[in-house]
Amino acid sequence: MAEARHSAGMKRYVVVWIGLILIVAIEVLLTYQHLPAGRLLAFLLVLAFIAAALGVMYFMHLRYERASLFWSLIPYLIFALFMMDHVWPDAFRLMHQRLPAP
Amino acid sequence: MEESPYGIQSKKLAIWLFIIADAATFGAILFAYGYLRVANPDWTRPFEFWPTIANGIAMTVALLTSSLTMIGAVQSAQAGWKSASVRWLGVTMALGLVFVLLLLREWSGMIAAGWRLSRNPLGGSVLFGATFFGITGLHLLHVIAGVVAIAVIASGFNRDRLDAGHVETTGLYWHFVNLVQLFVFPLVYLMNVR
Repeated sequence: MAEARHSAGMKRYVVVWIGLILIVAIEVLLTYQHLPAGRLLAFLLVLAFIAAALGVMYFMHLRYERASLFWSLIPYLIFALFMMDHVWPDAFRLMHQRLPAP
Repeated sequence: MEESPYGIQSKKLAIWLFIIADAATFGAILFAYGYLRVANPDWTRPFEFWPTIANGIAMTVALLTSSLTMIGAVQSAQAGWKSASVRWLGVTMALGLVFVLLLLREWSGMIAAGWRLSRNPLGGSVLFGATFFGITGLHLLHVIAGVVAIAVIASGFNRDRLDAGHVETTGLYWHFVNLVQLFVFPLVYLMNVR
């Protein structure tokens, strides 16, 4: 009985694992489509965040914990990452400031 | 005693807090990499499918598979199957070591080709080596620390000095380390394909 429950529980994680492997395969295929760098980066980031969400919610069991744990941790991390975005205007300034090669 | 608002053991809450802080650390180092890359129009994109991207795919698959074996270890520990849990932990460590060996092989190939922290043999921005070795090196340290932690936990669990909660807590750290690879592989490897 316990073994049957165990294997049934593992099936769900195998499905998530297959999904993660497929996401990695899609990322590699997209890379060789020779998309513009900005568009490729956007696709790769979206896929990476989907994969990370699957991993956090299922492999790390956050889906099965109390909602208070999710709301105490994840918004803080998103806020911290969002606040790091202030560097981009300076990066683009430096890119456009470069003098053309002689 | 007052019940925890999260309904989990204190060690599990502690590892979650560590994971969130560590995720912010990796976020910061990846943002720094993005900044340097955008600010350097002569950024080098040196990676070919063979051997670098193929190696990166193998490393990613090894880590993702080790997450699955870690779940096997946690579920076996919670079911009270000690020997099965220890076996799953052994497979998880082996997959972690496969990742370590593949990354070290990648590094040795790049170093043989002239790459250093501050030297670019292809003539572009010298910051490529610093960011590549810095990001993958920080991740490598986390994987090695995870393998050592799993070995210690497996030994303690096998001798009944540690319980299933310790296996689960180590599993959370291991899954996090594997999730970092889901960002390192596309951003540091795939975005630098020639």
